[in-house]
Amino acid sequence: MKKALQTIIILLLVAGCKKTPAIPDAELGSGKLADPSLTNPAAYRISVSQPAPTAAQAKIPVIIACHGYSATTFEWDEFRKWSNGRSDYYIDQVLLAGHGTTYAAFAGSTWHDWQSTIKDEYNLLVKEGYQNINFVCSSTSCPLLLDMIHSGFFNTAATTVHIFMVDPIIIPSDKFLSIIGIVGPMLGYVTSDNAPGEDVYYYHYRPQETLQQLNNVLATVRGELEDGITLPKNVYLKVYKSIKDPTADPVSAVLIYKGIKTSSGNDIDVNMVNSTLHVFTRLNLVPGATDQDRQNQNNTFTDITTLLFK
Amino acid sequence: MFKKIFFPILLIIACQSGYAQNSILDVGVRIQKDIGLYTENGITINYSSKKYAPDKLYVGFSYFTSRLGTAINSNAIKQDNFLLSGAWYFRQGHLIRPLLRANLGYFSSEYPAIFSALPHQSMLLSADAGVCIQTHTPLKITTSLGYNAISGKGNNDVPGTLYPFFYQFTLTWNILKPAK
Repeated sequence: MKKALQTIIILLLVAGCKKTPAIPDAELGSGKLADPSLTNPAAYRISVSQPAPTAAQAKIPVIIACHGYSATTFEWDEFRKWSNGRSDYYIDQVLLAGHGTTYAAFAGSTWHDWQSTIKDEYNLLVKEGYQNINFVCSSTSCPLLLDMIHSGFFNTAATTVHIFMVDPIIIPSDKFLSIIGIVGPMLGYVTSDNAPGEDVYYYHYRPQETLQQLNNVLATVRGELEDGITLPKNVYLKVYKSIKDPTADPVSAVLIYKGIKTSSGNDIDVNMVNSTLHVFTRLNLVPGATDQDRQNQNNTFTDITTLLFK
Repeated sequence: MFKKIFFPILLIIACQSGYAQNSILDVGVRIQKDIGLYTENGITINYSSKKYAPDKLYVGFSYFTSRLGTAINSNAIKQDNFLLSGAWYFRQGHLIRPLLRANLGYFSSEYPAIFSALPHQSMLLSADAGVCIQTHTPLKITTSLGYNAISGKGNNDVPGTLYPFFYQFTLTWNILKPAK
């Protein structure tokens, strides 16, 4: 009995040792790949390509596109491509802190770091003179935005801030995230089931430290929603959510809908989308994307770019 | 102060030995925490017949809900759990008794109408293990850690607020045994 106990303790200690995966050069996180927005920021960020807008340019809506946990700017590339030729709005793709570089950088980042990227870009655009700044966000960047709304970040915005959320996560589909604080230190990291080719754009190895951060931000924002969030008068929010989602449980949309009211006390707009994909607006590299998926993507991009001017 | 009051009471309770001679009907409150989500509270009733493994085999019913927990004065989802259970209590006659329990039941959650496409009810199938402080007075204090075999995975037609891990705490009173 004593021996068995000793063995278990030794096994737990060994399992608790720091683990770092061996990442192939062709995968994000290896240090050999970097998000293209780091090497060519002007192609992704209007704040870099056009830092001194004219009076007319400053009035054109800017849409800051924010990706999800472990992803990169790739997640919103299709929106940029879809918008090709449109000159009535700008797209500004940000790369959240810790993302798109090395495993160590990712492991060392917190959800406050991820959020600070969004805040910094918004503040930079304001400083540069842009007057109409909006957001599209996916998955984990949605609770980051919700926390910003809750903290009053947009209360003094000069014009209406449109925030469009695609497959926001409040409740994870994989409920084992709720015990990551216990099992995480023993595991070191978790591997993801990326589709072929996705390892270039999404971290394949997810450090347990970042999963704990993810769990923390979800718990924080869930609490804020339970207490209730009222949108400032100048914030418009719409949620688009797949009815089946292997990453962000669809019930996340219920929590957001119940937890947020407009400034006049009304419900927010929610569109439940007939999709089984997570971040259904990103179809590149998705195996077996259907005509319905393409239609969902097109409908959502059309809806976003229509509502932007209302 | 706490020790001064608590330990003498525990000692008195522990000294009242003797196995159950009659059937037992424990009635009380259940406080449950879904790990990573809601607190759900309610009632529990457990029965052990004097004819079949008295004070060892228990059958029970529990109803617990977020309405009496996290959803009080909050925007949390209102959800209800109805459980039938069968439990085995070990170490009869001891103050601290381990127990194993299997549960079967029904789960239901309330969503606004626009979410009618989402699953909002499910069967419950779970097991929990824990300990019961059996005081030999009508009072029982039980705590356990459990696992829901059926839980929401985002795409499996099970409500997303049905979480896999939980712990619970019950305080019951045997209404068939008068207090001494």
